Amino acid sequence: MITCSGLSKHFGNIHAIDDFTIDIPTGQVFGLLGPNGAGKTTTMRMLCCLIRPTNGTAKIDGLDITKPADAHIIRGKIGFLPEVPGLYETLGAYQNLDFYAQFYNVPKPRREQAIKQTLDDLDLWNRRDEPVGGFSKGMKQKIAIARALIHNPQYLFLDEPTASLDPQASKLVRDYILDLKTKGTTILVNTHNLTEAERICDQVALIKNTLITVGNPKTLEHTIFTRTTAVTVDHIPPDLSQTITALSGITLQKTQNTTLYLTVTNPTIDNPRIITWLKNQNVNVIYLTEEEHTLEDVYLKLLSTPHPGGSA
Amino acid sequence: MAWHNTWTLIRKDLAEFRHQRLVLGSIIAMPLVLGVILPLFMFYPLTTLTTTPTDTWDITGLQQYGTPPDPFTLPYTNHTQTNTHLTNQTITNTTLIHMTLSNCVIISCDLLDSNLTNCTVTTSSLSHTDCIDTIITESRGTSLSGRHIIATNANLSFTTTKPSQEQIILPTFINLVLIIFIIIPATLPTIIASYSIVGEKNNRSLEPLLATPITDGELLTGKIFSSLIPSMGATLLAFSLGCTMLDLLIIPKIGLPLLPNLNWLLSILLLAPTACLMSILGCVIISSKVSDVRAAQQVGGFIVMPVVVLMLGVLSGLILLSPYTILAFTALYLAIDLVLFYFAKAIFNREEILTKWK
Repeated sequence: MITCSGLSKHFGNIHAIDDFTIDIPTGQVFGLLGPNGAGKTTTMRMLCCLIRPTNGTAKIDGLDITKPADAHIIRGKIGFLPEVPGLYETLGAYQNLDFYAQFYNVPKPRREQAIKQTLDDLDLWNRRDEPVGGFSKGMKQKIAIARALIHNPQYLFLDEPTASLDPQASKLVRDYILDLKTKGTTILVNTHNLTEAERICDQVALIKNTLITVGNPKTLEHTIFTRTTAVTVDHIPPDLSQTITALSGITLQKTQNTTLYLTVTNPTIDNPRIITWLKNQNVNVIYLTEEEHTLEDVYLKLLSTPHPGGSA
Repeated sequence: MAWHNTWTLIRKDLAEFRHQRLVLGSIIAMPLVLGVILPLFMFYPLTTLTTTPTDTWDITGLQQYGTPPDPFTLPYTNHTQTNTHLTNQTITNTTLIHMTLSNCVIISCDLLDSNLTNCTVTTSSLSHTDCIDTIITESRGTSLSGRHIIATNANLSFTTTKPSQEQIILPTFINLVLIIFIIIPATLPTIIASYSIVGEKNNRSLEPLLATPITDGELLTGKIFSSLIPSMGATLLAFSLGCTMLDLLIIPKIGLPLLPNLNWLLSILLLAPTACLMSILGCVIISSKVSDVRAAQQVGGFIVMPVVVLMLGVLSGLILLSPYTILAFTALYLAIDLVLFYFAKAIFNREEILTKWK
């Protein structure tokens, strides 16, 4: 469990993040979303005990990130992928992973097995001894992800994990994250990739130097936006805009050609009512869809509203 | 402190270092040039010097090398031996008086009013003794006379003689070569140690490294030894080669290997590592404070100043290199090393390195 209470970090007059308060339950994938300079990386660095908060604190497994003795234990429980892979370019993939695994006291046989397994999964076992400096950006990113996972951490912090990865590798990483989630690993992901966040995150927090909102992606979409059903019919009766008011809880937003856009409260209940009512009006329904809003819509809508806070 | 973490970091750094062929080459080449090739070029002309008799040159063939040892006393009295090897194990409380010794090796004895012929004398005290075709090492002698004496690390006083100017140059030369072996380990690590922290930062590998359970002390110790091992390794290699090559030139001249003597051994085993550590610590401190490798190397150049001071002191004659001087400088450098290490640890600021360096 990760608990942040009023977590703040100031660099002089610049408030990178202010009063960040969230709870991340064990075994969840939690996304931190926000524009560049919103304080995502700063927050992650504080949680990884790389920098100390100016105010507030956070606890990981009950250990306080502001206490040096606790911070040392926390660093043993976490895996961290920074924005840039930061590999040792003259060393091979195997040496890079083996070096990091040793800091976590992974016994040699288990280390060798874990490295082989990970490099096999990433399709890099045959190139394990080649200097990683000659690898593509995507391959380096894969090795950096493997480095964060090699000691099987309880908490995983990933800063832009699929940046510079091709779609196939991105999917591999996403599947890996979801697999880790099933094993009980708590994962915090910083990402600009909202589609990815929507797919893998149980909860997301939208931040812009302070917490703007937090919640399940779908719930956020439904909370921020009204739910709209689009019904394409064979014809639209002239008095429809008046008669449709008979349907309680449903309002007509607009009509476009032979499509009606209706605001509904609960599509599961309201959509069948709409179909039945239209049938009673001698209007045939050709098809009906629900207008979907994405996390991107939520993100853009919320960020277009001014929020207090500086820039990181 | 978990030495396991430190050792892991050292092995990684050394593995990386092995791949940097240019740096590795310079680390090996510099000691070989300064510690082997240069002394050989300087020493060879001295070995071919022919002694020119002068007004004061009345001991034929006297050659004196090395630094005289500090005064010592040996309580051996009333003992007589001929045609044998005498050592401090066989002679106890004996003085050799009015004896002619032929083909003897006399070690740790007091010799008074004696006559030595074709002998080797080691760690002994001689007085009023006539020495002919004799090698005297690590010994003290007063009121001596004779001919064809080879003296190494001996403090000999002759009644009617003093060595030629050419022979006086040799001890100075040997001290100069010794100083080179102190300068080398003090300058070599500036290349590696300057890169230690700032290099990790520039490579962007510091952030994931600091996110592991490694402590500041373990990180700094690892970085220090990563620089110390190759620097001292290259220095010891050059030292071994240098001693061997110089001895190969000396042996035909004086009949015995001169190097390494006690001064050289103390210097390479104690003074050189502490000087090397001092240089490394200075560079690591600079490396953790500047944000650019070039700046670290540039500023790191100043770190060797304390060793340069020692060199100038020895060359100017203000500092006499004796075992006691070497031990005193070792203690001084060690104290500076400890202060620098705790200072480096105190000023090492993870947050500053991660957030302020670009």
